[in-house]
Amino acid sequence: MDALSLIRGGEPTATPWRFRLDELAWRDLVEALRADPLPFCGLWCDGTDVHALFLVRDEPLAVTLALEDGRYPALSPARAASTLYERAIYDLYGAEAMWARDVRPLFDHEVWPCSSPLAARPGVSEARSGLAVFQPSERFATAAGAVDGWGPASGGVSPPLYVAFTQSRGLVGQAESQSGYAHRGMALRWRGSRVEDGCRLSGRVVAGQSVAHQSAFCMAVEQACGQTVGEQAGLARVALMEMERVLHHLYTLADMAGRAQAPLVAAHCMMLRETMLEQISPVTGSRLLMDCCRPGGVRLPEAERLGAVCESLAGIGQAAHPALLELWESFPGLVARLKGLGVTRAEDLARVGLEGLVARAAGQDCDTRRALALYEGLWRYTAGRQYGSAADRALLLLDEVAESLSQLARLAPRIGDAMPDREALSLPDAEGMAMVEGPWGRVAYWVRLQEGRLAQVFCHTPAAAALLLFEESVKDQPVEDLPLVACSLGVNAAALDG
Amino acid sequence: MRMIRAVLSVAFRQNMMAMKPAGRGAPLMLFHIETGGCGGCGMELRALASAPYDLGGAGFGLANTPAGADMLLVSGPLTRMMAPVLQAAWEAMPDPKGIICMGDCALDGGVFGENYATLGGLERRVTIDLRLPGCPPTPTDVLAGLASLLRGDVQDDLPPA
Repeated sequence: MDALSLIRGGEPTATPWRFRLDELAWRDLVEALRADPLPFCGLWCDGTDVHALFLVRDEPLAVTLALEDGRYPALSPARAASTLYERAIYDLYGAEAMWARDVRPLFDHEVWPCSSPLAARPGVSEARSGLAVFQPSERFATAAGAVDGWGPASGGVSPPLYVAFTQSRGLVGQAESQSGYAHRGMALRWRGSRVEDGCRLSGRVVAGQSVAHQSAFCMAVEQACGQTVGEQAGLARVALMEMERVLHHLYTLADMAGRAQAPLVAAHCMMLRETMLEQISPVTGSRLLMDCCRPGGVRLPEAERLGAVCESLAGIGQAAHPALLELWESFPGLVARLKGLGVTRAEDLARVGLEGLVARAAGQDCDTRRALALYEGLWRYTAGRQYGSAADRALLLLDEVAESLSQLARLAPRIGDAMPDREALSLPDAEGMAMVEGPWGRVAYWVRLQEGRLAQVFCHTPAAAALLLFEESVKDQPVEDLPLVACSLGVNAAALDG
Repeated sequence: MRMIRAVLSVAFRQNMMAMKPAGRGAPLMLFHIETGGCGGCGMELRALASAPYDLGGAGFGLANTPAGADMLLVSGPLTRMMAPVLQAAWEAMPDPKGIICMGDCALDGGVFGENYATLGGLERRVTIDLRLPGCPPTPTDVLAGLASLLRGDVQDDLPPA
């Protein structure tokens, strides 16, 4: 029996796309997944059950298993990306994944005052003082070469992450990361909060992707409520998401160019970004577009100017884009430096289940926008170069900037000066799930509402898969390019740690 | 020709925005440490260090190591895992030294108050020499705050944290 049939053969729940399995059926599912390519989106726990989320033609399909003596059969033997979720679940709930591929701590490095902080009865723990000790896997511990490290405080501006690596003759051998430095306990903060406060938190999971997170969160809440926002509010969210994509991509391009010793190119990317921000920030009230969405609609200080800003941004961007592209391609040494750097292999992408921009730059056909009704009439994008190197990702970033600007131009007359409507939500005891295409890929939220508040929230981002892919792609790359490879793959500790 | 135009346009914009230091010879070196937030303050710091802003022209530089820094620039809520990293960075800095808190999270935790994983902000834990509130503060706000350091608006004798 295939994985889909096994899941749909489970006991139906109140949520039409979630089914409950017993342990034997779950084990059969794990076996079936070894050969079945069903896309895996994430695994989370609520203290009583574990839930795995899959996607069927961009529609959610979840499966639930009750924990037995605090344990459940791991999915990681069949889905590598599940490793990070299983480690997180153990650290937060103490639920053990049997036959897991990796049981090292992910977040809890014995500096917390308790163990299993989200469990019904957290354990008492004596917090250890001093720096967290890196715990290598057996494979890393036996790797040849001198061991070195990068982070968590390197003077840069990125959220903290530690990467240990072996090196030989200036090239990286094995690389392994230690996360948890940016863990803020988002799941606990969401639990029991009002939906407005939960939305504010979702906008601060990772900066630069706030609109994507808040839109997905709000849409999940609205789905749980059985409501949808009006057309103008929906269009406003799309406009904000595409503005965010443009700003994010320019920032990432600047970061890459700066690390690749092309400061002039970096300066141009940042100057264009600042020119756009001069237009955007009065309308959104935030340069990083934080808190522009709220459950039931959007929150914009000057909403009536949104259409005009879309038109203005499209004009500014489309005028500047050809020169930026030419500068990128002609700047001495830049493309040569990125060509062949951090190449992602198809088998690694499939193994970790990474979608989004990185996968598109490696020839995969995946973009959540295609499946979203919000983007009807706007979708035109086709992928560009697809060899999977940092150079291809950079060119795709530039290409997507142009595409998003075109979408803004098409949105402008539809938005006009209309004020986006706002739906008043009635909050039933229900579950909802929604996804959007964030700057690096799919951002999905699952929410459970209870007594008018958030009982639980699960957030999926490409960060977990990106980290696994980074550890593979950085092998045999120059040591000094390690941060550049991480930047080009969208590795972000804030999104990963939550 | 395209390259020459590109160079000129960057130079022109930078001069427009520059805030020159008030009489200090060497730049004041800042060691940035993100102690566990969303990364928004870091993004704004990067914007400040890039065109069209002119952090260097205003008399500041970003240090690669704490040993080469005059001030510790902290952003994000302090996670329990980053606390010893922050302490180590502080101890590695030469005297005299000081602490700048950038953003609400670094000051009082912002939306990330104290829980099992975070200690909240640095306020009431250490002596802060410059507060830059906001979520996140804009590059202009940060630059104005930093410029006040060079004008001597804050105390000269920087006490240890």
